[in-house]
Amino acid sequence: MNLDVRVFGGLEKLLSGVRFGESIPVDVAAGATVRELLSVLGIPPEKVFNVLVNGRHAEMHTVLHERDRISLFPPVGGG
Amino acid sequence: MVLTPEQTVLYRRNILLSGIGENGQERLLSSSALLVGAGGLASSAAYYLAAAGVGRLGLMDDDVVEPSNLQRQILHSAKDVGRAKVESAAEKLRALNPGLCVEILRERLTPDNAGKVIAGYDVVIDCTDNFASRFIINDTCLELGRTFIYGGVLAFSGQLFTVVPGRGPCLRCIFPREPDAGAPGCEQLGVLGAVPGVIGALQAAEAVKYLLGLGELLIGRLLIFDALTMTFHEVGLQADPDCPSCGPRRMGAGALRPSC
Repeated sequence: MNLDVRVFGGLEKLLSGVRFGESIPVDVAAGATVRELLSVLGIPPEKVFNVLVNGRHAEMHTVLHERDRISLFPPVGGG
Repeated sequence: MVLTPEQTVLYRRNILLSGIGENGQERLLSSSALLVGAGGLASSAAYYLAAAGVGRLGLMDDDVVEPSNLQRQILHSAKDVGRAKVESAAEKLRALNPGLCVEILRERLTPDNAGKVIAGYDVVIDCTDNFASRFIINDTCLELGRTFIYGGVLAFSGQLFTVVPGRGPCLRCIFPREPDAGAPGCEQLGVLGAVPGVIGALQAAEAVKYLLGLGELLIGRLLIFDALTMTFHEVGLQADPDCPSCGPRRMGAGALRPSC
C-alpha cells in the first residue's frame, strides 16, 4: 500500500536523497505497522520520538492504511 | 487605562497596525505573560514581548548563566556568567522597556507551584528544555484554562504550536510521553543559536496575537522550521480522544469535562 511519509528534525539524514519535511511516497505491505515502516525506511525506532499518522500520534504497533500521511520526529525538546 | 503621550510614541508601530490601534496597545499593557525558562527560546520571546509592551512579564528559571549559553541566549551577556538567569534577563528587559513590570521567579516549575504561578498570568510561553516541565505546563494550563505556546529546538530545526484548552489538541495528545533517557538533545547534537531565536520570536508573535485576538493561531498546527534548507513546514495535529491529559477518561479526572 502507498504511504506519504515526511521526516523532520535530522531524521532526513538517515535517508539518502531525502530533504527535511519533503513528502516521500513509500510502498509497504498491506497491514504494515509503524515499526515495519521504519524498518523499510531503515530508521532505527529508538531515533524516533513521535510519529503522527494523519495528525494523530501513533505508536510502533499502530497499523497503517492506504494513503496515510505519516510524519516522523526525533525529540525536539531543546529550549 | 489610557495611553500616555510617551506610550503613543513608543508603541506607534503597534498602534498603526490594523487590528491593534490604541485600544489594542492598552490591552497589551494590561496583559501578562509567563515565560517558563530563561534560556534560548525565552531570550527571543521575552525581548519581543517586552518590546511589544506586554505589561507584565514573568520569568521562571532556577539556573545560572554559563559561558556556553551565550552562543544563543542573547538575553544574557559575558558579564552575567554565574548570575541567576532570571535576574540577568530582567535587567535587560527593564532596560529595553522600563515601563513594564518584570517579575522574576528564581525557581523551577513543579507540580506543586505550577497552579499558583500560572494562575497569575494570561498566557504561558514554554521556553523549557525538557518534556517533564512541558507536561507540567500542559496539565496545569488545561486545569486552569490557560493558553500556552509550546516551543522546541534541536540542532538546525525548531517547532511550535499553540494549545488553547477546549480547542484543538493539547501537548500530550501529540507527545504522549517523555523521550527515552538516552535520547540526544542539544547538549549532544548542538543547536544553531538563531534557531531558538526564530522559534522564540514566533512564540512572541503568537502570544501577542492571542492576547489581542488577532489572526489565526497555531491551534492544531505544528509549525516546523529547518535552517539548513531554510524551509517552513506545517503538520496538522488532531486531538487524541484517549489523551491522558485532556481526554474524557483522563487520569485523575473528576467531573467529566469536554475533551480538547
